[in-house]
Amino acid sequence: MKSIESIIAKPAQAGMVGDGFRVFNYIPKGGITQKRISPFLMLDFNAAYNFPPSTSGHLRGVDVHPHKGFETVTIAYKGSVAHYDSSGNSGVINPGDVQWMTAGRGILHKEFHEESYAKKGGPFEMVQLWVNLPKKDKSVAPHYQAITHSNMGKLLLDDNAGEVNVIAGDINGINGPADTYTPINLFDIKLHAGANFEVSIPQNHNTALLIINGSVTVNNDQVASEHSFVLFKNDGTTIQLHADQESVVLLMSGEPIDEPIVSYGPFVMNTEGEIREAISDFNLGKFGYLD
Amino acid sequence: MFNFQQYLQKHTPINVNQFEILRKNLISKSLKKGKVLLNEGEKTNVSYFVSKGLLRAYTLDLNGKEHIIQFAPEDWWIGDRNSVYFNEPAVFNIDVLEDAEVVVITKAFMEQALDICPDFGKYNIYLLHNSIRHMQNRINKLLAATAEERYLDFIKLYPDLTLRIPQMMIASYLGVTPESLSRVRKALAQKHFRPNS
Repeated sequence: MKSIESIIAKPAQAGMVGDGFRVFNYIPKGGITQKRISPFLMLDFNAAYNFPPSTSGHLRGVDVHPHKGFETVTIAYKGSVAHYDSSGNSGVINPGDVQWMTAGRGILHKEFHEESYAKKGGPFEMVQLWVNLPKKDKSVAPHYQAITHSNMGKLLLDDNAGEVNVIAGDINGINGPADTYTPINLFDIKLHAGANFEVSIPQNHNTALLIINGSVTVNNDQVASEHSFVLFKNDGTTIQLHADQESVVLLMSGEPIDEPIVSYGPFVMNTEGEIREAISDFNLGKFGYLD
Repeated sequence: MFNFQQYLQKHTPINVNQFEILRKNLISKSLKKGKVLLNEGEKTNVSYFVSKGLLRAYTLDLNGKEHIIQFAPEDWWIGDRNSVYFNEPAVFNIDVLEDAEVVVITKAFMEQALDICPDFGKYNIYLLHNSIRHMQNRINKLLAATAEERYLDFIKLYPDLTLRIPQMMIASYLGVTPESLSRVRKALAQKHFRPNS
């Protein structure tokens, strides 16, 4: 059994990312450093929030900003986001879908509430997870994987207990579509009230759960309530969940990348010198241009 | 205060013991984003050393448009010499752009520092010359340089501010329109962006 290291309650206050994302930040925070939870670097959770309809054509979101040296994974539960980047790519992330963006050697992008969602307003619920790249892959060309609900691996639980959408990694031989640079599991677990679910995760993986909705009892031991975050020790392979009510849980696990991490805002490299170079490259337009 | 101590020990001859004496008359302040430290026309007798965060000095023209004179990120000093040293009304407004920790620098501190450590005067003179050099360069660039040259100077002086402040503030500092700054950045990207290499 992977024992629970800590259960962290939802942070007291949400922060705004631009004017479109009202997020609770779980990583990095307190004891959950980027090294402790490697390869995950950052976890922001826009817990379900009703945005009012946008008026006068203003779309809420985050304007142009760079990323370099890692991947951003956006998991949309409710609401839609449109994105644009400096290579001319654009698209929409719809509820149930995941965008896996490899920033690699550097990209500029912007993300806004998708127009038709913005006009109506309504519930918005998303996770953004940053995943580190190993040193050898930090300079790959930027690219995307658009992972839709329909192409995720699907595990239907017995007795209609729920389902697991496999975004990355594998569960019982069912694979997720995401190509990852290091071994990673990312599971969207949906459990009906009373359901029991057991999953096996390699012992060396840094592993955590985020309770998106509902409440679950973990390892027949502790209750993880809505919006709490469960960090596991690296001491076993099995995690048991019991849904105390209808629940949605995000499970993330990954093999730690044993390399130095130097973060500065939207850049994550291995040395201070590489950070200075990243800032200079960004300033000089080497990530391209985006209006 | 620790950052200020480190700064002084790195750049000036003030040693640990001397700093301990000076510390008694120093005050640090935590400031929230948006806090106004000085309004044009007021009188003040203090300047600031920025340990953490970001401050700026700016003026407003008759149309209410902001003209940013200086940014002060970590390890920068900021103040209005007109008021501090000439006891005249301040020319600049000073406010906080990012939550900040500052050390309040009084005339008494400068005098005591000189008293305790006469060589501190040399550093102070260096600081003055550096500031004058910077201002001269800035005047020259504002009168004679292209927007691109001004931007290239800016990113050399303040490498990470492009990640910390909106474009319009950079444009205000450079004395160009935000549109002109966008054109500069676009032209640089066209020169340097190699999407397929």
